[in-house]
Amino acid sequence: MAVLSKLVKWARIKSPWIIHYNSGGCNGCDIEVVAALTPRFDVERFGILLKGSPRHADVLVVTGPVTRQTKKRLVRIYNQMSDPKFVLAVGTCTMTGGVFRGGYGVVAGVDEVIPVDVFVPGCPPKPEAIIHGVVKLLEKLQKL
Amino acid sequence: METIELLILILKFILFPGALFCIAYGWFLEWFDRKLYARFQNRIGPLLTGPKGVLQPFADFIKLLAKEDITPAGADKFGFTVTPLLTLVVSLFTLLFIPIASLSGILSLSGDLLLVLFISTVFGLLIMFAGYFSGNRFSIVGTERTGLQFVAYEIPFALSVISVALATRSLEIVNIVTYQVNTLKLPLIVIVPVAFIIYLISSLAKLEKIPFDVPEAETEIVAGWQVEYSGKKLAFFRLATDLKMVFVSGLAVALFLGGPYGPSIPGLEPVFYTIWFIIKTLVVMFILSNLRSLFARYRIDQVVRGFWKYLIPFAVLQILAVQLLIFLGVI
Ligand code: SF4
Repeated sequence: MAVLSKLVKWARIKSPWIIHYNSGGCNGCDIEVVAALTPRFDVERFGILLKGSPRHADVLVVTGPVTRQTKKRLVRIYNQMSDPKFVLAVGTCTMTGGVFRGGYGVVAGVDEVIPVDVFVPGCPPKPEAIIHGVVKLLEKLQKL
Repeated sequence: METIELLILILKFILFPGALFCIAYGWFLEWFDRKLYARFQNRIGPLLTGPKGVLQPFADFIKLLAKEDITPAGADKFGFTVTPLLTLVVSLFTLLFIPIASLSGILSLSGDLLLVLFISTVFGLLIMFAGYFSGNRFSIVGTERTGLQFVAYEIPFALSVISVALATRSLEIVNIVTYQVNTLKLPLIVIVPVAFIIYLISSLAKLEKIPFDVPEAETEIVAGWQVEYSGKKLAFFRLATDLKMVFVSGLAVALFLGGPYGPSIPGLEPVFYTIWFIIKTLVVMFILSNLRSLFARYRIDQVVRGFWKYLIPFAVLQILAVQLLIFLGVI
């Protein structure tokens, strides 16, 4: 069994599929997330694929602060993902609400709504920083 | 003696040209396809999983197997569970007819070309069921599109195969291969080039690869018919797609490129034939990946119209040309 669980762990680290959700940001972070998928940075090297359906994905990449309107949807997407699932929060907004903090329609950081594994700071963070965040997440998986 | 023969047959089914080899080769083809696709887009593609990322599809498969398997409340429980398994079994079954290590497949009956055509039609039907049973609005749209696309590509696919059957005057895959090896001494692509092109285009639609990935168009309907499938079921579907890739390229090799035949050392034929099979299927996959990265997705009406307006007339013309050649006594 030990061999089998090692194999599964290896497979999990080698193929994290992501789904990308903007919970109300300014779109700056989304551009950077998309840039990480383009030829210059190409995260498919790590086996990362962008998936459209939450059922297929392992990692939920959230950008932007959580607004009152998207709160319900964010929770629903999180619940639709199958275990084991992880959350990568990209951008300052996802930590505190950033420049949107205190707005009438803003709930604040993502961690108030769903558990977050890794935060990537920056407004917006560079693609390098996002990849660094992914690598941190994979290191966390290694220790599980 | 009898038991030894039986044992060898069972080993053939399970190990060498049978299930295990085909699954491993399917994963290899998926990696080859992804890597080429990435290179055409000036990316690097899978790199860190095994040497050059060869183990990427294997890692994906294991990961999906170990994930939670969700059955949505709106789904038809029985159909939702059975369809992925059935898809996998059907696509493995078709591979038994493809000649890999010798001039005939593991199974070979008279008229097996028709049987293989029929079973490959079941792929499309199973995909429709898969979408229908999951009871999601996106997958219903995907199902409808699968049905429409099915109407579009199945006929040119069959017509292109029929022109091969006419040229060789046989419905048996073994005979078609031996005809090319012994009688014609040339691959059939020389005689029916148009049929080969039509075969490739309609097999792209069969595999739901990019210009024809309308049923699972990510940007429009999330993931189409497979939107609700997670964990093991998704793993089975992906494996079935890889096996279909082996099937489509293997059938192309058998029908148009002279089968697994090639120069070899007498006595070592199975080894050399396998190597030739791999080389030829890789060539076919290379063409398919090229097409995949060259074109953008068509709309569903464009797909249907294109297949009916352009491919079917050409396929019929090809059949007439074969008849003419037969009439003139060239083949
Ligand atoms: S962190 Fe900055 S760039 Fe990202 S969504 Fe918030 S405001 Fe926009």
